[in-house]
Amino acid sequence: MNWSLILTSMLPEHLLLVGMLAILGLEIKSGRSRDGFGFAVLFVAAAAVAALWLYATGFTGAPFLHHFSVGPATSLPKAVLLALALPVLLISRDDFAETPYYTLVLASLYGACLVISSDSFPTLFLGIEIMSLPVYALVVLGMLRAQSAEAALKYLVLGGAATATLLLGISFLYGWSGSLQLAAFSWALGSNDPLAMAGIALITAALFLKAAIVPFHAWAPDAYEGASAPVTAYMATIIKAGVLLAALRLFGTTPVLAPVVGLLAILPLISMAWGNLAAIRQASVRRMIAYSSIAHAGYLFYALLGDGRGRWEAIVFYLVAYGLMNVLVFAALPRGADDERQDRLDTLKGLYRRRPFAAIMISIAMLSLAGLPPLPGFVAKFLVFKNVLAAGYTGYAVAGLVASYLGLYFYLRVIQYMFMAEEEPGAARGSPRRYVVMASLLCLVPAVLLMLFPGWLIDRL
Amino acid sequence: MAESTVLNLVLWLPVLGMVALLLAPHGTDRAIRGFALALMLLQLVLAAWLYRRFDGAVAGLQFETRLPWIRDWGVHYHIGLDGLNVLLVALTAFLGPLVVAGSFTAIRKQVKLFYAMVFFIQFAMMGTFVAQDLFLFYVFWEAMLIPMFLIIGIWGGERRIYATLKFVLYTAFGSILMLAAVIYLVWSQSQVTGSMSFAFADLGRHPLPLGAQSWLLAAFALSFAIKVPMVPLHTWLPDAHVEAPTAGSVILAGVLLKMGTYGFMKLGFPLFPDATRAFLPALMILSVVSILYGACLALVQTDIKKIIAYSSISHLGYVMLGLVSLDLVGIQGAIIQMVSHGLVAGGLFTMVGMIYERCHTRELANYGGLAKLLPVYSVFFMILTLASIGLPTTSGFTGEFMVLLGAFNAAWPPHLAGDSLPLVVAVSAVAGVVLGALYMLWLAQRLLFGEVKAPHQPFTDLVAREKAILLAFVVAIFALGLFPQGPLAKTELAARDYQQRVLASRVPEAAP
Repeated sequence: MNWSLILTSMLPEHLLLVGMLAILGLEIKSGRSRDGFGFAVLFVAAAAVAALWLYATGFTGAPFLHHFSVGPATSLPKAVLLALALPVLLISRDDFAETPYYTLVLASLYGACLVISSDSFPTLFLGIEIMSLPVYALVVLGMLRAQSAEAALKYLVLGGAATATLLLGISFLYGWSGSLQLAAFSWALGSNDPLAMAGIALITAALFLKAAIVPFHAWAPDAYEGASAPVTAYMATIIKAGVLLAALRLFGTTPVLAPVVGLLAILPLISMAWGNLAAIRQASVRRMIAYSSIAHAGYLFYALLGDGRGRWEAIVFYLVAYGLMNVLVFAALPRGADDERQDRLDTLKGLYRRRPFAAIMISIAMLSLAGLPPLPGFVAKFLVFKNVLAAGYTGYAVAGLVASYLGLYFYLRVIQYMFMAEEEPGAARGSPRRYVVMASLLCLVPAVLLMLFPGWLIDRL
Repeated sequence: MAESTVLNLVLWLPVLGMVALLLAPHGTDRAIRGFALALMLLQLVLAAWLYRRFDGAVAGLQFETRLPWIRDWGVHYHIGLDGLNVLLVALTAFLGPLVVAGSFTAIRKQVKLFYAMVFFIQFAMMGTFVAQDLFLFYVFWEAMLIPMFLIIGIWGGERRIYATLKFVLYTAFGSILMLAAVIYLVWSQSQVTGSMSFAFADLGRHPLPLGAQSWLLAAFALSFAIKVPMVPLHTWLPDAHVEAPTAGSVILAGVLLKMGTYGFMKLGFPLFPDATRAFLPALMILSVVSILYGACLALVQTDIKKIIAYSSISHLGYVMLGLVSLDLVGIQGAIIQMVSHGLVAGGLFTMVGMIYERCHTRELANYGGLAKLLPVYSVFFMILTLASIGLPTTSGFTGEFMVLLGAFNAAWPPHLAGDSLPLVVAVSAVAGVVLGALYMLWLAQRLLFGEVKAPHQPFTDLVAREKAILLAFVVAIFALGLFPQGPLAKTELAARDYQQRVLASRVPEAAP
């Protein structure tokens, strides 16, 4: 065992672990729950900086050979993911005073880091489970409404189904190749063997379930609606990013061939169209975001149709643009008197009159999610469809673009509510909290920079 | 270097204004209006300087800026003036202060946001015209939807939500297919040259088989034709125009519609010349159908704003006819007609706004004999009516006459061997002029003459601010009508270049 290598290369993970233990210790010792928030922010920020440092120095190493490796290609997504978790933590402060919340978030982030660095199926599986298990608890933790428990249970049952499917797929691939390396997945992509194909299909289906791709999406609107706003933001951003990065890890740079292309194109295409259409009918902000995220998961999986480097570029850029904007929505959403009220889309009516900056920020986020230029969401969409088209799937690219067009209406409707509708009587007033403003700026400033200089990030991918 | 800075300034000044307005603490409405007007006047002065310095004898781009934006894809922040866009940039800058000053009394709620959005759209329109990189062009082209969505939706009439959603969803559908075409075009170009480039110049050299050209032209044309709008894709226009506030209508008619015809002229036709020539008969027919159908619809409207909205469809049909005539006079006429229509329709919409502010109705039946009540107003209205008809000495005459001349040149001797279609098209277009005179004169007659009637009297004639705005429109209309040589000299080389590019073949040569 090379202890110093383990210490350096896993620095972000170690910092998260230390943070978790510190918060637990703190709770036992003092019971002053507020400190949990501070520690969590501190350690996640430190972990993000550590990941960034590993990326900047170009650190490469494999502390556990064939199981866990670190390189610029893993450090950058880690840094992105951890940085995105910061604003999510900041908006949690007013909802969650309890320390267990912060422990669970850090644990889930630890899992996401494992996924990103995994080289073998056991590590990947462990990572996915460590990432998802705390979230089942997070959904029910606030217990803001009666549906929370139901939502958590649905999520747990379907998450369990995904786990089982994933394990079955892994066992098929192990049976076919005799290897537990992630590379077995790439080999299987190039083979016609039914066992290999079944393995690929099962593993992809598990990922679809976790990322809420139609027809495996039914849990998402319920879980998103039942959870409190910060947890929804966490699920829609970090968990989705984690699953997609897992997919990226599996597919690597191997080009996909005929039968898998259908799998990767048709279900995500249906997701885009269905997510965008179903979002129109929602009266709850979180359900709308859930359907929007179903559509966005579709775009993200679409990117896997492209070639190796383009895939990586498109998915990471997309995750950055999408994550920033999604968290921005939740940061800018006005806090209502009670959770149920806060979640109603109607409460946004006339928001520009009451809180112009919040309304402008939500508009920016909505337009970016809709993929309208000049916002970063446009460049992200462009990247995805450019890759699909460059891989020769002109028909899929055009169909995907048309499906993305369907989403325009419901994003615009949010803006219409905020700017063009009369205020609802009894709408919540009051100015936003300091931490929420910080969270908004943490999302907004990088988003504006990304809008003005998209090339800066693209050149680095 | 210093000269290209001026163009950058013209482009970015509105953004500075927008950010300043949105971040500024609540100022008085008066201060905001003054600031907006001052900034637009500054932009106009700079644009006027650019226009004067623009040398028509030099081919290619002037006041050029080219900076890498997304290095990996070969996207550049590339802007510049050429003969095709110089007049449109001047028109956009000219309408800016008039739009701002024209909404001083009309816009009373959320004044700050309103002027911020006017700045935003000014920026997007200016950017669309000066962009020389397809990616940049697309970004500006689409970004324009955002402020227009808000301008119609917040300050519009009763059915504003319906109108604005219809406008945005209609135009965005065209754009999304154009995006697919953009990606395909750039990608296929990169297959040949090995690196991606979005520069208009590079894409203009890329050979494409006729089939691909046709599909790409269809996608671009759908987007542009919706914006123009060409019949049968025009149904969003009356709603948007009627529901939009006056400023929105002036921007829509004055500049936004020209983005469609400019798109055809700058991108659609020259990028896919072989497909354009193959579709030429269809394009001619569509243009002339737009002219006649728009005019017929204008005849039967009872809402003053709708009459002018439908007349826009008809007038832009002439622009399209000039562009597809592929005759030098016709092409130059199309450019002049674009500017002329911006001035005339802009002026007419401003005037409708003025009467609407006074009486709160646009129903023609409620009015009559305004010449007695509002003599100054009536004089201006009559001048604009005659300009819209295309009376000699006004800009409308120069544009329409040149377009028709071009259409006849194209028909005689027949370009398309043995085909009588161009001649039929040209003759029908002349009939459009007659229809145009009919609906505009009839409108003026019902509005200004006859029995005196108005929803509530007495009301005041034009105030000094309104007179100044209309005077600016009228002076510009006569200037373009009496002295078209200046603008024509500035556009001639570019028009020639357009003509040559559309007549050249870009189908790749078969391997020996």
